[in-house]
Amino acid sequence: MRNPFVMECGEFHVNYKQNMAIWKIPRVRMRIYLVIAFFILFPFIASDYIIGLATLCGIASIGAIGLNILTGFTGQISIGVGAFLAVGGYTSAILTAKLGLSFWLSMPLAGIITAIVGALFGIPSLRLKGLYLAIATLAAQVIILFVISRWDSLTGGTAGLVLSRPQIGSFVFMSETSYYYLMFAILFVTVVFSLNLFRSRVGRAFIAVRDRDIAAEVMGIDIFKYKVLAFFISSFFVGVAGALLGHYTMIVSPELYSISVSVEYLAMILVGGLGSVFGSIYGAVFITLLPVVLRSVVEILNGMFPGISDVLVGMREVVFGLMIILFLVYEPEGLNKIWRNIKDYFKLWPFSY
Amino acid sequence: MTFFLQMLVTGIVVGSVYALVALGFVLIYKSSNAINFAQGEFLLVGTYICLTLVASYNIPFIAAIFITLIFSALLGFIVEKIVLRPFIGKPIISMIMATIGLSSILAGFVHIIWGHETRVFPQIFSENPIQLGEIVIAPVYAWALVIVVIMLVIFSLFFKYSKLGIAMRATADDQQAALSMGISVKTIFAVAWAIAAIVSAVGGVLLGNINGVNSSLSTIGLKVLPVAILGGLDSIPGAIIGGILIGIIESLTGGYLDPLVGGGLKDVMPFIILVLILMFKPYGLFGKKEIERV
Amino acid sequence: MKKFLSIILTLGLTLGVLVGCAGGEQASSSEGKTIKIGGLFDITGATGDVGTPYAEGEEAYIEYIMSKGPVNGYTIELIGEDYAYKIPEAQKLYQKFKSKDKVAAILGWGTGDTEALRQQVAADKLPFFSASYSENLKNLEESPYNFLTAASYSDQARSVLKWIKDNHQGGTPTVALIYNDTAFGKSPIQDAKDYAKEIGIEIVDEQIVDLKALDATSQLLNMQKKNPDYAIIQQTWGATATILKDAKKLGIETQFIGLNWATGEGLIPIAGDAAEGFIGVVTHAFPYEDLPGMAEVKEYLESQGKTFDDINQKFIQGWVAAKILVEGIKLADEPTTGEGIRQGLEKISNLDLGGLAAPVTFTPDNHAGTNQIRLAKVENGKFEVFTDYFGYE
Repeated sequence: MRNPFVMECGEFHVNYKQNMAIWKIPRVRMRIYLVIAFFILFPFIASDYIIGLATLCGIASIGAIGLNILTGFTGQISIGVGAFLAVGGYTSAILTAKLGLSFWLSMPLAGIITAIVGALFGIPSLRLKGLYLAIATLAAQVIILFVISRWDSLTGGTAGLVLSRPQIGSFVFMSETSYYYLMFAILFVTVVFSLNLFRSRVGRAFIAVRDRDIAAEVMGIDIFKYKVLAFFISSFFVGVAGALLGHYTMIVSPELYSISVSVEYLAMILVGGLGSVFGSIYGAVFITLLPVVLRSVVEILNGMFPGISDVLVGMREVVFGLMIILFLVYEPEGLNKIWRNIKDYFKLWPFSY
Repeated sequence: MTFFLQMLVTGIVVGSVYALVALGFVLIYKSSNAINFAQGEFLLVGTYICLTLVASYNIPFIAAIFITLIFSALLGFIVEKIVLRPFIGKPIISMIMATIGLSSILAGFVHIIWGHETRVFPQIFSENPIQLGEIVIAPVYAWALVIVVIMLVIFSLFFKYSKLGIAMRATADDQQAALSMGISVKTIFAVAWAIAAIVSAVGGVLLGNINGVNSSLSTIGLKVLPVAILGGLDSIPGAIIGGILIGIIESLTGGYLDPLVGGGLKDVMPFIILVLILMFKPYGLFGKKEIERV
Repeated sequence: MKKFLSIILTLGLTLGVLVGCAGGEQASSSEGKTIKIGGLFDITGATGDVGTPYAEGEEAYIEYIMSKGPVNGYTIELIGEDYAYKIPEAQKLYQKFKSKDKVAAILGWGTGDTEALRQQVAADKLPFFSASYSENLKNLEESPYNFLTAASYSDQARSVLKWIKDNHQGGTPTVALIYNDTAFGKSPIQDAKDYAKEIGIEIVDEQIVDLKALDATSQLLNMQKKNPDYAIIQQTWGATATILKDAKKLGIETQFIGLNWATGEGLIPIAGDAAEGFIGVVTHAFPYEDLPGMAEVKEYLESQGKTFDDINQKFIQGWVAAKILVEGIKLADEPTTGEGIRQGLEKISNLDLGGLAAPVTFTPDNHAGTNQIRLAKVENGKFEVFTDYFGYE
């Protein structure tokens, strides 16, 4: 019988379309469809709590993919993600709560407005590279949050704004399951878009900018245009994620978008794998579930050694930092690489090399 | 006029502490080409250690400071070995994230051991304000300024005349050449980080004496970025001047602009300055322009 | 080595997630005679210094009342978790409490999480007690399931203004407001300004001092230009201490009056001498006061081998919050659901807390338990209460 793991044997591509497909082998495509089907049917077998967690992971994934487009694929380090999430969330809040637009309009608009703001902050990228750009985005984070907390009349200041769940006609997306499907649909579109982005000319230009931007310019790629475009697209997705998050929790306030959120998202793409769409998803799930897992571990340990929870309860920050450093040292290409290692291992199995 | 002078004085004192911390930051950048986002946390650890020594163990202040300096130097050494070494030569984002991860770890430890509440140093400097004409300065401010100036002088002399100092400057200039001259670059890195930790600790202790100690002290780590950029990331005099300038700007903003905006602008102003500098003079007042080669 | 580590990591993570999901399921089966309450605690977060004793007080009361036997046949279980004042954590914990633990009420904590969860608790019908006494929580249309166990910040400010009006000698009193730039800080400001206008007090200045500020010199110097007689502080201990110390350094003679979170034993060690003469709003009793309600607390402490020296005012605050919730459970016809507990709470009328806090009344139209406060002044390094419970009506 065919070795279940060696899949390329016997596959011949006869036209360009087949060669450029995202998943080249029919068997792999089948498995991907199965995975998608699993996630669609998932709410029927899981409890509300798990669905809620999954929704949070999903929203984080959309934001992480956005950030990865900018940082992983185009090499522009951005520490301002938190602020862009805020812009997305607040825009949607203002459009729905103050202007009475429907969610279905406000969410894409939130994305577009965040994209414009992102592009504005991307303009300095013409003159700034690497570290300096990172620091500029950090400044953007601080300044945007300041503007949001001060501009009381528009943003409700520090009290924030209240949002309501989206609705179609009379159906309100109140339950966990309904919101999960909404999130899943948007995540699906995001993933498909991003995967295709990097098969296209624009995507290749991004990667060229990351690898050696001066050489890219010599080749005729207008690096300024593509850098700003990268900021634009990336911020669009981050804005959409922000809007989704806002409508999920039904509140936006400046405290939710602090610099630690930016650091979390950076950790997500680093842990997941820079420059990989699925890596962003793995990373987002990892970082979002980390506190949950920690809590459960502490609970179990507390059962075995009572009193240990007092010591471990403050460990969250330490574990977070430790995870980042461990991943950076041992697997800088993140979870995505680990997954590929596993796949490669099985490709050669039972041979060892 | 008194109001202005009062603000100016506060600004100079706070700014000199910024200058000290920025000095450490720039030193690390100059010698090991690394950005230390954990500078604020070095400050935090140093300050809390000193606080514990003075408050819980009743060790006299001067002795406590020396012990703290030794601890900080150790911290610098350890961090350099564990966090920096693996990342030399790796892309800058790894380095940035590594120091961010480090800051998370250090902050976490501080919170576990010492909690979040604000604490105070037992009174070491007298409370009677010094009157300079119409301006009132708490003695602790004056002491802070004096100590910072002394430290800056010590460091200038160190870099100019001592063997180690010259070696550090050589390494910062050209690592390869320094290596070929027989300078142990690894030692230099370690010393640079140790010094950075030491100056942060001193800065933190001074600020802690002025106002109290709580975990928000680490935000200075972020404030140091505008200072370093203003002065030029690889310029030591730049760090000093940048620090004092930012301190004054912050203080004056607090005094004059905050009432107009409803407050809070004073903490954002250094970052607005940062953006302006990055737009018009990215290498700062004294920094060297980086030349990129393909 | 690398491969080995990666495999261990993946296995560990999968295990962790599975455990996390599976572990809690057994808890819901014993719902019959147990009422579960979720507790959002800040132990390691930014407000942990006051959050920890508050959480201890809540847990202590539940332990105490359970030691006396079931309440109307029900066992009450408090499931408390530390969210470190991180709102996203609070939301995740809320999900857990709601879906996994199936709680019937929540003892919350800070303004941030109370605001963030307000909509959801209303939709999910879970009574929510918080240590945030924000005025907008009184609005039953917006927050039908939130309950205030002490005077709201606005009511506190109003009562303070009334006290100033009644006790000030020599013309119209001038007052400044010092607060921070958060929802907590800004909560009472507009209401304070409106009420001041009503009763004829001039608000001459407003200053913003950050919650974690270590320096307030520029703000105080600005305030000094207007030379107010009094300044009302809406902050926690850290910022309050900074303000008092800097005021002393600058020789400012304004009488500072703090609302409930600015007041407390913890202020004194940080502010030192600068705290002398400071007046604070006291919503809950200090353990060193001799009040009838302290007897229960004493009993509990003795059973744990502790004394009054081991607890502080915030402990009493948590104790009282839990006590009021348990009273609601006692009066409820259907105490295992959120809806039922709400109805029970709304029956509470003039609940006597033995002086530990002002008597609390809830009705279907009013979830603000009380608007009464007391005032205390720092004398010789200790808060001495010098008024009885009073309101502003």
